[in-house]
Amino acid sequence: MANRAVPQRPNGQTPGKICQFKLVLLGESSVGKSSLVLRFVKGQFHEYQESTIGAAFLTQTIHLNDVAVKFEIWDTAGQERYHSLAPMYYRGAQAAIVVYDITNQDTFERAKNWVKELQRQATPGIVIALAGNKLDLNTMRSVQTDESQTYAYENGLLFMETSAKTSANVTEIFKAIAEKLPKNETTNTAGQGRRLVESEGANKSLSSCCK
Amino acid sequence: MTCNCVDAPVPPLFGVQTLFAAQHTSESCGANGLPLTPNSITILGYAQKLRTLNHPNLVSHLDFIRKQHGRIILVSQYFNRSLWTESKNYSLLIPLEKVLSWTHRILSALSYLNDNGLVHRFLTPQYILLDDEDNVKLFNYGIYYMTNSGKNITFPIGKLKYTAPEVLVLDRASNKSGPKTDSWSLGIIILELLLGAQLWPTLKLSQIIRKILSLTHCTDVVMRLAREMGRLTMYQSLPSELKDFLSKCICMDVTKRMCPKELYDHKIFSLYEYSKILTNKCYSCKHPLRQMKLNQVYYLWKLAGGDVEWALKKKGLLRNESSILLIPRLIILEGTLYGNARNQSCLLDLQIIELSLDLLVNRLQHLKITDYDPLIDQIKDCDDTIDKLPLVIREKDTEYQFHRIVLFDRLLSSYPFKLDKLLIEAKKDIPPYFRGEIWACLLNVCSDTENTYLSIDKETAGVTDRQIEVDIPRCHQYNDLLSSSVAHKKLKRVLKAWLVSHPEYVYWQGLDSLCAPFVYLNFCKEHVAYACLTAFVKKYLNDVFLRDNSAVIREYLIKLFHLIAFHDPQLANHLDDKGFIPDLFAIPWFLTMFSHVFPMHKIFHLWDKLLLGDSSYPLFVGLSILSQLRSTLLNSGFNECILLFSDLPEVDIEKCVLESSKFNDVTPRSITFRKYELRTETREHDPCLIYEVLQKEFSPRISVYDLQELKRSSQKFLVVDAREQGCYIEKCIPGSLNIPIKEEDFEDENFDLAPSPELSALVNNRGSVLIVVDNLHQINKVRKFCRFLVKKEYPKVCSLHGGIEALQTFNILGPAILF
Repeated sequence: MANRAVPQRPNGQTPGKICQFKLVLLGESSVGKSSLVLRFVKGQFHEYQESTIGAAFLTQTIHLNDVAVKFEIWDTAGQERYHSLAPMYYRGAQAAIVVYDITNQDTFERAKNWVKELQRQATPGIVIALAGNKLDLNTMRSVQTDESQTYAYENGLLFMETSAKTSANVTEIFKAIAEKLPKNETTNTAGQGRRLVESEGANKSLSSCCK
Repeated sequence: MTCNCVDAPVPPLFGVQTLFAAQHTSESCGANGLPLTPNSITILGYAQKLRTLNHPNLVSHLDFIRKQHGRIILVSQYFNRSLWTESKNYSLLIPLEKVLSWTHRILSALSYLNDNGLVHRFLTPQYILLDDEDNVKLFNYGIYYMTNSGKNITFPIGKLKYTAPEVLVLDRASNKSGPKTDSWSLGIIILELLLGAQLWPTLKLSQIIRKILSLTHCTDVVMRLAREMGRLTMYQSLPSELKDFLSKCICMDVTKRMCPKELYDHKIFSLYEYSKILTNKCYSCKHPLRQMKLNQVYYLWKLAGGDVEWALKKKGLLRNESSILLIPRLIILEGTLYGNARNQSCLLDLQIIELSLDLLVNRLQHLKITDYDPLIDQIKDCDDTIDKLPLVIREKDTEYQFHRIVLFDRLLSSYPFKLDKLLIEAKKDIPPYFRGEIWACLLNVCSDTENTYLSIDKETAGVTDRQIEVDIPRCHQYNDLLSSSVAHKKLKRVLKAWLVSHPEYVYWQGLDSLCAPFVYLNFCKEHVAYACLTAFVKKYLNDVFLRDNSAVIREYLIKLFHLIAFHDPQLANHLDDKGFIPDLFAIPWFLTMFSHVFPMHKIFHLWDKLLLGDSSYPLFVGLSILSQLRSTLLNSGFNECILLFSDLPEVDIEKCVLESSKFNDVTPRSITFRKYELRTETREHDPCLIYEVLQKEFSPRISVYDLQELKRSSQKFLVVDAREQGCYIEKCIPGSLNIPIKEEDFEDENFDLAPSPELSALVNNRGSVLIVVDNLHQINKVRKFCRFLVKKEYPKVCSLHGGIEALQTFNILGPAILF
């Protein structure tokens, strides 16, 4: 379970440093974006996870040494048609997880496109992780680990193969992202104010992004 | 002529049986990575087709219930007499004419099954039932079909001695039985009846198999069987046509054996006059329940507390083992179980249990005969006490539902006549029993949809197939029926049909959720599901499925926000302050008309009301959901607000429905006017605005027509005229309030109205519809004034579309009478 590795709310512990980060999940539909988030945030898994329409928002905090890292996660709709909404969610994000399904080559190609788009249009310095999900279906694999590994290395991405079903590498990938994120300037309690400004920016951008 | 009498006894009408679906050996996945659909669900999906079959010589199927561990319970019409009981009770031979008349009826039923793509495959004298009037009624004809030709079960279907030889030798997984297997079984059954003896009554299974297979070597199979029964002479004395008929049934060579349809036309049936013999009319008194449709009686029986499982338990067919006894000794990592003892009640026992109707009869005993057969126009309103009960209770009340079913049965059968009455009754509530049909009426679905649907190409691969295929297996899958493979196919076909017939639109994720309730309610009438979806989208979601739908969706969202500002300024201010705009949470609401947000049973109640409203009704539903969450929202920041919607808390749908209809009643129509909704006409002064304009405004606009309407109605309203006093005195709307104000005034953040008689009037009219008016070119000032009033938490603020100029043609302006 995700909770095992990550103590969520340490009772009585005075919070040292709190960092907040906006993280967005992107990828083709039914690769398991919502399932990854659900596993990470609630430790749950639903075989028949419903499709996401528009986007969903969840938060989860993990602890790295004495720093509490709070992820504000935007889980987006996968269908290509909802693409026009995506910039609203990745704008201002400090991290992104691009997900594909290891049993489906097409979803990997789509993931590459997402990476390109992020590198071109998202916040400079955004931490991008590539997640090959559905590791539990290893026997049906069609995207080889080497291939993705090489691609991730060449593009400077974090890479892990995950399974929302068995929870393999789910917490790990979020943790790896948290470790890579800069925790000096965006730190502490001022995060709340900063984030709100960002969200307002995101709202206003809606008018320009999906004409 | 039979008479009806409420005191007459009602014999059991239904029989129940239970069987088990084959279990998948381990927890393996299908090609899409999802767990394999349990066979019991697959069976449930196939079984639905049986409900649609209707033939005088077939019993009707009433219910299929899926239980734990792959158990399926079948409920169907039942009679306790059969050819089996008859042949045992008759000391003499059954007259030839009678046998022939039964045979002819059986063949008619078998041909009907064949026409519908079914074979019986389970013909035995026990499963050929006889009703009160000696009509034959075939029973258990659906088991072979619903188990996908026996693939989803572990037991063989059929009674061995009546089973055609090819069934025994061919591999049952790869060979489907054809209609001619039934001809064989029928031949053996008739032979036994005609000769008055049993074939191989004492042989063991293995011996019977050997006997059947040994028939291969014999030239005249029928004669050989007659000899085995010890009735050779009797057989030889049979008319030659009859012998010919039997030889066409009991024929080893399948190519020479006749199928039921050919047998039906056999000359033997033209030789005998048997039509008169059959009728064994029953002249005794009958309970009026027996005039009702069996499905209705069964539905009411369940409401009255009828419990199929309990009936099975009583007969020992369903036993609950304590769970500790069901634990296996060993589970290997792949999921295969070892060492769990087989539950004895899991073994096949197709015993039929009759269901007593006493419970229902007692429940309805004080009803009069006229209650069963009322005149529509004289139906009195049910007493108020029941009307006031919550919907969920009314839906469970046997007597109330009885009246509703009787009433709607009439109204639906006379549709589209009596549509007005249907609407009035549907406003009270929609009985679940008829929901599918009533919805179709409310959506004006006409009867000729079947041909339209048939003519649409639903098979050719399309660009969105992949998307549809990944969406369907996660669409309302908690519902047994919708998770079956048959349902998946139906949903896909209906979606594809809709896409093909609407080339201007495309598949957006969410369309699947929208389609699901219609497919569920019209499971065996895909064309109706398709027609309902088409009409529904046209009415509520016009142009929402365009390739570029952003304009339509955004209009929906901004209109929702205007509506919030109109009815709940405090909430609107809060949401605006936090930047929590409907774009962040309401897209799935409108795109799927809440069908992606709520489970099926809630969608039913929501749409029951939605379908009675016009195309702006969805906005009121949205508003009423927000008002239920109001106090939480008001105390939450941006993050908490959005988290609330990512995991929507329990929404009380009945309350939501009531609230939304109240909001609807007190909102002038033009407030929710949408440019993209489908309407018959747009009048000159209707507020038909583009998004860029809507976006600049916080409050909605009202049309001149609605202003006139307000004058005529009893609703309280106040026109606030913001022009200079001079203009106002010269010409104004009678009864309006003049608050002269300049646009620059609003530049000061702390601006407030100075105490004045006008301000007091405004304060005193808090709660009335406040209509801000100015000259057309002062639009920015009007916007700011409206925003100011909303900030001051005045509800029902709106501006007059078209300004004061719009009123000129209406000739209602006059000189002002000052305070």
